[in-house]
Amino acid sequence: MGAAVSRVDSHQPQKRNVSSCRMHCVESLCLIFAVLSISHLYILVFFFPPGSSARGADKKKRISRRMALKQVSSSKSFGGFQKVFEHDSVELKCKMKFAVYLPPKAESAKCPVLYFLSGLTCTEQNFITKSGFQQAASEHGLIVIAPDTSPRGCNIKGEDDSWDFGTGAGFYVDATEDPWKTNYRMYSYVTEELPQLVNANFPVDPQRTSIFGHSMGGHGALICTLKNPGKYKSVSAFAPICNPMLCVWSKKAFGEFLGPDQNKWKAYDATHLVKSYTGSQLDILIDQGKADEFYDQLLPENFIAACTEKKIPVVFRLQEGYDHGYYFIATFIADHIRHHAKYLNA
Amino acid sequence: MEEDAGEEPGLGRCTAPTDFHFYHMDLYDSDSRLQVLPEESTGVRREAVQAERTYEPRGAREGQAHRALHEEADELVHLYGLEDDHELGDEIMDEDTPRLGTAEYPPYGVKRGDPAWEQRDWRLGGEAAEAEDLGFGGWGSRGQCQDLREAYRYTHGRASEEYECYVIPEEEDEEEAADVFCVTCKIPVRAVENLDAHKEHEVTPLNQALESAKDEIHKNMYKLEKQIIDMENFASHLEEVFITVEENFGRQEQNFESHYNEILETLAQKYEEKIQALGQKKKEKLEALYEQLVSCGENLDTCKELMETIEEMCHEEKVDFLKDAVAMADRLGQFLKTKTDVEISAQPDFEEQTLDFSDVEELMGSINSIPAPSAPVINPQAPNSATGSSVRVCWSLYSDDTVESYQLSYRPVGDGSPGKDQAEFTVTVKETYCSVKNLMPNTQYEFWVTAQNRAGSSPSSERAVYMTAPSPPIIKSKEIRSCEEAALICWESGSLNPVDSYTVELTQAEAPQAWGVTESIVGIPTCEALVQLQPRQNYTIYVRALNVGGPSARSEPATVHTTGSYFHLNKDTCHPWLTISEDGFTVMRSERKTPMREPLASNTRFTRCVAVLGNLIPVRGRHYWEVEVDECLDYTIGVAFEEVPRHEDLGANRLSWCLRHTFASSRHKYEFLHNKTSPDTRITVPPRRIGVLLDYANSRLSFFNVDISQHLHSFSCELHRLVHPCFSLEKPGCLKIRNGIPMPKHVTFY
Repeated sequence: MGAAVSRVDSHQPQKRNVSSCRMHCVESLCLIFAVLSISHLYILVFFFPPGSSARGADKKKRISRRMALKQVSSSKSFGGFQKVFEHDSVELKCKMKFAVYLPPKAESAKCPVLYFLSGLTCTEQNFITKSGFQQAASEHGLIVIAPDTSPRGCNIKGEDDSWDFGTGAGFYVDATEDPWKTNYRMYSYVTEELPQLVNANFPVDPQRTSIFGHSMGGHGALICTLKNPGKYKSVSAFAPICNPMLCVWSKKAFGEFLGPDQNKWKAYDATHLVKSYTGSQLDILIDQGKADEFYDQLLPENFIAACTEKKIPVVFRLQEGYDHGYYFIATFIADHIRHHAKYLNA
Repeated sequence: MEEDAGEEPGLGRCTAPTDFHFYHMDLYDSDSRLQVLPEESTGVRREAVQAERTYEPRGAREGQAHRALHEEADELVHLYGLEDDHELGDEIMDEDTPRLGTAEYPPYGVKRGDPAWEQRDWRLGGEAAEAEDLGFGGWGSRGQCQDLREAYRYTHGRASEEYECYVIPEEEDEEEAADVFCVTCKIPVRAVENLDAHKEHEVTPLNQALESAKDEIHKNMYKLEKQIIDMENFASHLEEVFITVEENFGRQEQNFESHYNEILETLAQKYEEKIQALGQKKKEKLEALYEQLVSCGENLDTCKELMETIEEMCHEEKVDFLKDAVAMADRLGQFLKTKTDVEISAQPDFEEQTLDFSDVEELMGSINSIPAPSAPVINPQAPNSATGSSVRVCWSLYSDDTVESYQLSYRPVGDGSPGKDQAEFTVTVKETYCSVKNLMPNTQYEFWVTAQNRAGSSPSSERAVYMTAPSPPIIKSKEIRSCEEAALICWESGSLNPVDSYTVELTQAEAPQAWGVTESIVGIPTCEALVQLQPRQNYTIYVRALNVGGPSARSEPATVHTTGSYFHLNKDTCHPWLTISEDGFTVMRSERKTPMREPLASNTRFTRCVAVLGNLIPVRGRHYWEVEVDECLDYTIGVAFEEVPRHEDLGANRLSWCLRHTFASSRHKYEFLHNKTSPDTRITVPPRRIGVLLDYANSRLSFFNVDISQHLHSFSCELHRLVHPCFSLEKPGCLKIRNGIPMPKHVTFY
């Protein structure tokens, strides 16, 4: 507990110091909630059946078997439970927290699982405290996983220098460049390690998985889907970074994480990925506030154009008057969860 | 002697019970019966023989008659009670005994002491009187018959209870103790007994034997029950006949009596008249004769006086003589001139008197004939007695009347137009009813009836108006609308005159027989009905029209599929530039602009946007339909209130919610319009098939790209009233509406 608190304590002031005023706009207050909510800490040790041999299984799997989940918090919500867990991530080589919403239905049956990837500066807390998604998730019987947005406390020089890079800004890529390549493997974390952990520890039906996200997380959701055809039943995004190669934030991050070769960036750019997408039928729902202060960065038109050309079905809704924040998300979260439920519960 | 005469034919009536023989012999002769109740059977036979034997002694006395009756009663008891009814039989006998003492039928017995009867006696010959006596005596047996009937009724009342008690009692102890049943010896053989005796015999397990025996007995019981029912029916029929005969004869007798009295009165009157007439005549004659006698004596006196005077004169002087002689001669001459009437004025012989009995003869003749009937009473129309082309007319007669035939006349009730007399028709029937055919449907006819017999025909009855049933309605199959829960059926009356109501009958078409029950909705006042149905079923629907006469035949069937919602386009709203295909589901706007047919412009027709409304069923449920569109076509689809302004574009007001697609410079633009505003939504894949979901419960209207199950948009709309689908084409092209299709699963999330 002390560690957890100290982690938050140790990072938060630094983060605050480097935060621009924009950071307030994007995400700020939520981190305080994180501190407040860690009042109880339970340690859950998950045992795995000893029957199957560890030999022959790949390294990740063997590690995951030893993985221990520590429940950080659990609160009843809409008949289910909103919980936060902590575990030692193999990919990220640090302690990671993630939030799990277990709907009432999960008590008696395996439920589909929906991942939500948050935006810049966020932790697992923002989404679960601000979006109000629990009601819709409870109604549709979806387990919702909200991971953190980057490794924490890796003590890499410069990771806390900027709000839009490093801590809280992993951009859901596997970094290839030093000094990031050891820890900043968020892509693998959200597509491999975390799903395995979730599948092993919660009553989920791994065949029914979907993903969505906000802003940087919207970019994450899109690339995860486009890079893994069939892995996710559906995808949607709130104000996603659609063309990160042309976005100021991600150009900086991609340069640091992936190196200067822009061809390597294309592998993490939804607009580029969609041009070569040949996988299963998609149905992408994107909501975008018209009053979004970062609209220029997000470049949804590029993505829409690419999708139109490739006949990838997208419904892109420009919502009059909405900005980039969680009020916007909370307004349309029910639509998105219904969108996923349609495919997950079909 | 009279008593005997009363009873004697009564014994002859034993033939009546022998009628029953057919039944009971049949009953008792069955083998099973013999097996079960051998003793009763023979007993009954003996009795039957005895009963027949009582035939022989013709002059049998009352005691014997009693016995015969007892036996008959007994027989009946056995007949109906079937078994163990000695007690009952005895009861009946006891009941019978006192009544048999007064076996004569009272009304007829009384007649004999009647003064009228005695009066009759002096006219009728002794033989005739005897015959009469016998005739009436025959009716004495009626008392007997009544007794029989009583006995029958008694047992009859019991019978139904009785055969419920036939259940063969379970023989528990035997089941345990006895092991087999010897078929040859027909006895159960106990296991403990030595089976050697039955070694050679065919044996079956006792249970099996018991079962088969029970089966057989049950079968027989069933037969018996049937026979009992048959006999009961027959008996009640006999009873009816009995009563009818009784009544008829009673009536006949009354007739006879009244006629008799009439004749006697007439005869007595004639006698009086005759006697008076004769007395009068006698008096007249005697008076005449007396008068003649008196005048004759007077004449004689005068002659004598003359004689004396002349003799005196002869003794007189000559002068005097002469003087007197002249005067005398004159007087004599004068006297002699007056003719002396020596003819007898009144004939002493009796004049030929013809007695006129013609009226009596007539009366005598009319004893056997009957008076002309009085006017029958025509019944009002019974409900459901008419068809479209026929009515069943019923009437009744006065029970005293004898009627040979009826003349039923009818004519259609005119609509009051004078001078146009409707033709009259007449049919002759024997019954008190007639089904008159070949009539016009849903028309009133006036009926009246006269009764006729030999004596003449009655006045005609009151006139009654009957109405034929309507002709079957015609379902407008092309206007049937439906959704998953209901269907709206419309029809045409099929009759010119108004009918009372309509009945809709519906059957689930593909349901198995047991479920194919016809459900009826009755009392529908209009030519339209909203029928609640089960989702995803096929129904066959018929409509009948009803009036006082009854229901019409079924209309031609119409089928309804409660899969999805099914509507038609409302041609009245169709913009002149639009054409609707034959099947009604393709809306076309051709390249060439046909000139506006101005005269047709009405309040209901769209004038500005080239649109048409659909007629959705007025049910506030969930409705789903699809529209096939061309990717490059400019179209607007959605829903609108009935009163959406016809001179405005769809979506340009608060009365419509629409998806509008415009295609310009190779860009698709999708607008979700309501009150001229639309959210800014971009759709990357142009839909070719658009699903529209109208959900009243959630006040939502949603659009889908059906091919990829993509949700395009949902309106939250306040649907206080009913809306209709609307379709509009902004460019030449066509829209194809797909109706009556199940809702895809993905739309159920919205």
